[in-house]
Amino acid sequence: MTAAIFSHDSRSSAAIGAAAHNRSKALRKILTYAALWIAFVWAVFPFYWMIATSLRAKDEIFQRPPSLVPHTVTIQNYIDLLVGAQFWRFAMNSLLLTASVTLVSVLISVTAGYAMARHRFKGSVVLPLFMLYGQMFPPVLLLIPFYAQLRLLGWLDSLWGLIPVYLSYMLPLCVWLMRGFFSQVPHSLEDAARMDGCTRWQAFWKVILPMAKPGIVAVATWVMIHSWNEFLYASTFILSEKNRTLPLGLSGLIGQYTTDWGVLMAGGVITALPILLVFFFLQKHLVSGVGGGAVKG
Amino acid sequence: MSARTARPSGLKPTWSSIFETGLGARAYPYLMVLPAVVIVLGVVVYPVLSGIMTAFYDVTLRSLNSGDMDFVGLRNFERVFADPNFVRALQNTVVWVVLNVVAQLGLGLALALLLHRAMPGIGFFRSGILVPWVVPSVVAVLTWRWMYDPSVGIVNELLVKLGVIDAYHPWLGDTATSLYAVTVESIWKGTPFVMLLLLAALQLVPKSILEAASMDGASGWKKLWYVILPQIRVSFAIAAVLTFILTVNNFNAIWLMTEGGPLNSSEILFTLAYKYGFKRFDLGLASAVATMLFVGLVVATTVYLKLIQAREED
Repeated sequence: MTAAIFSHDSRSSAAIGAAAHNRSKALRKILTYAALWIAFVWAVFPFYWMIATSLRAKDEIFQRPPSLVPHTVTIQNYIDLLVGAQFWRFAMNSLLLTASVTLVSVLISVTAGYAMARHRFKGSVVLPLFMLYGQMFPPVLLLIPFYAQLRLLGWLDSLWGLIPVYLSYMLPLCVWLMRGFFSQVPHSLEDAARMDGCTRWQAFWKVILPMAKPGIVAVATWVMIHSWNEFLYASTFILSEKNRTLPLGLSGLIGQYTTDWGVLMAGGVITALPILLVFFFLQKHLVSGVGGGAVKG
Repeated sequence: MSARTARPSGLKPTWSSIFETGLGARAYPYLMVLPAVVIVLGVVVYPVLSGIMTAFYDVTLRSLNSGDMDFVGLRNFERVFADPNFVRALQNTVVWVVLNVVAQLGLGLALALLLHRAMPGIGFFRSGILVPWVVPSVVAVLTWRWMYDPSVGIVNELLVKLGVIDAYHPWLGDTATSLYAVTVESIWKGTPFVMLLLLAALQLVPKSILEAASMDGASGWKKLWYVILPQIRVSFAIAAVLTFILTVNNFNAIWLMTEGGPLNSSEILFTLAYKYGFKRFDLGLASAVATMLFVGLVVATTVYLKLIQAREED
């Protein structure tokens, strides 16, 4: 009812104001671009500010008032950061941890996701939902049991101890996403391979896996990014300085009284860099993969 | 059938043929899901159950070492409710969640509508607007902390230049503003993901519907309200629930900017539980708060799953 009234209204006004139409269209375009620019600046500015701070000389960082554009550009902060052995140690720890967690979760979620998408068995309907629930558990509820367990096993303050902890919040969603990707691979392909005499395993390994590669890449990237960035568990379970990951190392640069923001921001840029690179190379996979998986299920 | 017996010579029977018939064929899917199920049982289900149990025991570091814990029934919950910090944290959590969810969904929808059109340079804007989502959370939070700096922070300088404030303000150090200052960071960080979800939903809206609405002369707002929103309502609800879950679980922003302070002014239930657990080492008390959060999140997750199912039935 209401729609009919609106349509009648605007149609008559459109006929009258045909000349005004073009002008309002141009105005709308200008407004759209203005809004886009505002959003863009708002989104990018903190990132710009991090880079700008990392390139400033120490005395300029604490100059008041701060200037939007650095007067002089120096890489001194990066040198200060990178000559210390610590930073490399943190980076190696992060790399090792991220690689292990990614490898384990991809290997395990590939087979599970495939089986859930393709086979009917007891639990093939319930299990995926169970996985999704597993993802939603609040980390704070898991923290304390993990702490007690790791203590018991003597894995507190160990990078290896973090692997099962990270799996707890990676694996369920990985399985869920993988199941989504595998259900998009057409059945007929597998049937054809089986007709040609492949065993189930061969059909899975040689035909289905290559088809599902974009999904696997997306899931692997998702795990990589999240393990690389993880802070809560690492900061609770890692006690000694030599076992810190990059995010921990960064937060450790915050001093009680003074903080060397130049070096800290340089560290931030270097920590963010691998993620940004991964993201912009794989943007297409990621956006459709994670976004689609979460929405479509 | 005959195709299988007439095996092409290139493919030899391998170890994997044991999955072709009989018991092997029936066990095959179970074997494939087994590792995932075992790990999830071990690292999710068992810890969750043991965490909930801890809420009913008196657990401190000492009792953790000796192994004997006393069952105290609901005492931990009573102690939590009696703590004025808990009441404060509960209020803050409500403010924190409402502000985050409303702002992220509103801005996310606006951005999705802006970016959902073929305009020159739209890819550039889209990439730029996704930056907050991509920057690692710890890096983003520390950058904002630096931007909020009370003496040389750029936020202060810009606000003074724009005439919003007269003098520099310690945004994170003032009990009146700390929670809101952290909220701004969290909105900045979370909105792009909401935008992505809604953009994906918008792209699924059939063009013909939008065109029909335009032909009928529906103006922008009416088209949004009567045509677009009903089409994406399920995705919108899903985004709302996800944002809710992510906000309740957002520890980094608060912890790395204010640690819940000053004077508990930015304490949320998550950081309160963390403090109970790992500053006071009263693990029973921490578990009681965590269990309450857990119940809230389970309800939200259930709603989320119902929404996903509703969407699939659409």
